[in-house]
Amino acid sequence: MVVVMQEGASEAQVERVVARLVEMGMDVHKSTGVSRTVLGAVGQGRPEATLIEMMDGVHEVVRISSPYKLASRTFRAEPTVVTVGDVRIGGDEVIVMAGPCSAESEQQVRDSAAAARRAGAKVFRGGAFKPRSSPYSFQGLGEEGLRLLRDAASAEHMALVSEVMDISQIDLVERYSDIFQVGARNMQNFTLLRELGHRRKPVLLKRGISATIEEWLLSAEYILSGGNTDVILCERGIRTFETATRNTFDVSAIAMVKKLSHLPVVADPSHGAGRRDMVAPLARAAVAAGADGLIVEVHCDPDHALSDGAQSMFPAQFDRLMAELRIIAPAIGRSICLEATPRRGWGT
Amino acid sequence: MTLDDLRKDIDRVDEVLVRLLNERARCVCEIGRLKKETQMEIYQPDREKQVLQHVRAIAAEGPLGPDAIARLFERIIDEARRLERRVVHGETGESGQTPGTR
Repeated sequence: MVVVMQEGASEAQVERVVARLVEMGMDVHKSTGVSRTVLGAVGQGRPEATLIEMMDGVHEVVRISSPYKLASRTFRAEPTVVTVGDVRIGGDEVIVMAGPCSAESEQQVRDSAAAARRAGAKVFRGGAFKPRSSPYSFQGLGEEGLRLLRDAASAEHMALVSEVMDISQIDLVERYSDIFQVGARNMQNFTLLRELGHRRKPVLLKRGISATIEEWLLSAEYILSGGNTDVILCERGIRTFETATRNTFDVSAIAMVKKLSHLPVVADPSHGAGRRDMVAPLARAAVAAGADGLIVEVHCDPDHALSDGAQSMFPAQFDRLMAELRIIAPAIGRSICLEATPRRGWGT
Repeated sequence: MTLDDLRKDIDRVDEVLVRLLNERARCVCEIGRLKKETQMEIYQPDREKQVLQHVRAIAAEGPLGPDAIARLFERIIDEARRLERRVVHGETGESGQTPGTR
């Protein structure tokens, strides 16, 4: 249930409504907008809308019909902007995150970060813990990998996003990374999501390989209901009957989620198709469809990558893609990395 | 379409134009930096001719026509040269900032 306060409702009026909702057994999430305060009441209590509606300062009470509440547009009409240092995800600028699938060596991490930054990426991506389909595949470098990723990101003035696979890794990843990534396979690991909800670092939540949009938003709700409001959704392709591509990249999900939710949505065109030659077309489609950002696998030497080499772009291909996106973004009223000199770092 | 609709279209196109002109300016700043590094002259008359020929060729079919497009681009090139000069000589521009810094 959402309680919309009147414009200019007093602090005391808001407090009385919050107190009443708490009495009814609800958790209250307050969102102070430009002109009015909105209270989201969630939980297992039984709020009585008519009683709340009659209280002083209340403009209206809206029932949220979707099973997710805090993630819905009804709860928050304006888009959420997730801020990491200088980087704003969900604003006017399309934010590009790029980097290798996994950290392999100091040189590889440093070269990949430099290539990503040079092309205009603002967030460095890379994994230290890899959820691989086979237990015999490369599993990642662990803490050493995180340290390498952090050092390379900082050297290039980039933020870092890295995957956390398990609740036991949260503290470690939090120490090094600016954004937690929850992978597709963990989208419904509810203990992990609940714990991330108690942290105060943004979470990039990938869509599960066969999750509906509703299930995906319910997973976001787990994080939001813990009080962590910085959730970034990430479409990465879903399993369909098609076999020509590894997954089917769901462009419609981008537009749909922007309608249903206020949360920023980024797209992962690398996993979307699992093929290097499909990354650029899917990235262009995602930006045109309104994605707030991209997360792209770029490797300084994809042919020798220890994981996902076949879908990692060469730096030169990534440069080209960025140049194309810089033409596409303005057509829908957005920009991509307009700093004239990304190679000198920014904001310093 | 009403006058209002058409004016909204104009505003939309202008927004894209301004963003793209800034994207062009971003490339110009990079070129200025390269010219500075290699001590190349800012004014490259041959290249300017190429740029004008290129846009004239694309403009062959539109209502503006090649001559009008070339006149518009002469102004764009003037501004680009000015921007390059600022990058090369480190002069501050209208915003009081050296291009490329924030």
